[in-house]
Amino acid sequence: MTDQERLAEFMARIERGEKIEASDWMPDEYRITLIKFMQMHALSEVMGAFPEKEWVPKAPTLARKLSLMAKVQDEVGHGQLILRVAEDLAAPLGKTRDDLIQELFTGQCKFHNVFHMPVPTWADCGVIGWLVDGAAVVSQAALLDSSYGPYARVLQRVCAEEGFHIQHGESICLALAEGTAAQRQMLQDALHRWWEPLLLFFGPAETTSASATILMKYRFRTKTNEELRQKFFAKYVPRVWSLGLTLPDPHLHFDEAEDRWTYTSPDWSKLKAIAKNAGPLSQYRLGLRQVSYEEAAWVREALSGRGGAQYVHL
Amino acid sequence: MSIYEVFVQKDHTTPHVWVGSVVAGEPDDALVMARENFLRRETAVSIWVVLQADVHRTSYADKEFFARESSKEYRMLSAYNKTNAEKWRKYKRNLLDLEKDFVKD
Repeated sequence: MTDQERLAEFMARIERGEKIEASDWMPDEYRITLIKFMQMHALSEVMGAFPEKEWVPKAPTLARKLSLMAKVQDEVGHGQLILRVAEDLAAPLGKTRDDLIQELFTGQCKFHNVFHMPVPTWADCGVIGWLVDGAAVVSQAALLDSSYGPYARVLQRVCAEEGFHIQHGESICLALAEGTAAQRQMLQDALHRWWEPLLLFFGPAETTSASATILMKYRFRTKTNEELRQKFFAKYVPRVWSLGLTLPDPHLHFDEAEDRWTYTSPDWSKLKAIAKNAGPLSQYRLGLRQVSYEEAAWVREALSGRGGAQYVHL
Repeated sequence: MSIYEVFVQKDHTTPHVWVGSVVAGEPDDALVMARENFLRRETAVSIWVVLQADVHRTSYADKEFFARESSKEYRMLSAYNKTNAEKWRKYKRNLLDLEKDFVKD
């Protein structure tokens, strides 16, 4: 079979809604674009642990500390699960898990914009769980039917746990919303801080990038950035307003005639700066990640069985 | 480091079910990795880890292997229960149901 025929058969499978598996023949652009997408997802999960872990020692109660710890651990766990899927796809290209991880430090792999932002108050920690994880579930749930089987399967577990993260975040935010005037103000300020990063999270409405086109063509993704952002508005804006809280956009409203939410565009230059790791805390968080990766090298070495010491089976 | 496929058994009445894979240097480490990755919430009574290289598998492309030469309807409950139920109605009797009449009763 020629590559032309293989490609035609591959496209026919995609169009029939079949799932692609790691060992199947696939066009290079599918493999390469998927590796990049999953690598960014996996490492964003890992980087997502850093903003929130700052609040583990400062959580207001033991119960809050426990649930936050569980969430932070889940994020790292999601990174592990998705890296596992990505490295299988990268192996035929001679690329290893370590290569995928290292590309975060060289800037070849980006991580989600929201994890470049500071978390100055406990309310910010709550808003991350409520709205950032809410935004993440909106985009990940849209990938549960992705054409790549191994990724779709792993997302089922990831989404189930994100469901817990959202409730954890809502629990914090609802407590603050029903708390003292100072607590409500803290939540209100955090909402205003996170609104723009949340809009940026979904990406520009008009996506013409090569990778976005490829992901759509092969039905890895089926929803556009704007469709996902609109879904996010529909789920969350009415809830924010129902608590008597405001969002920092005077033009934000549901347009009945157009059947869509109207909003003020965020400052896209901020997303471009973040993509170059020039966001507010990009370098600081990458530095933390690099230190933790290097300082844990001995653990990976010990677990690899290459350390020289003989493993004794009891 | 090797890839281990992970199978979790939730309780003694259900079979081990494949949940994913982990990378580890030793089987015992793979068991710990599996617990940390897949059982942070759910309970279980047993985990199996199997070296991926030791798994013999069919190819997804090999549709022939799963081909059906003929209908298997005659092996199915559904081929009989509707007609039987209709007949029992004449004798004012209900069709016995495995779950309802034998397992649960």
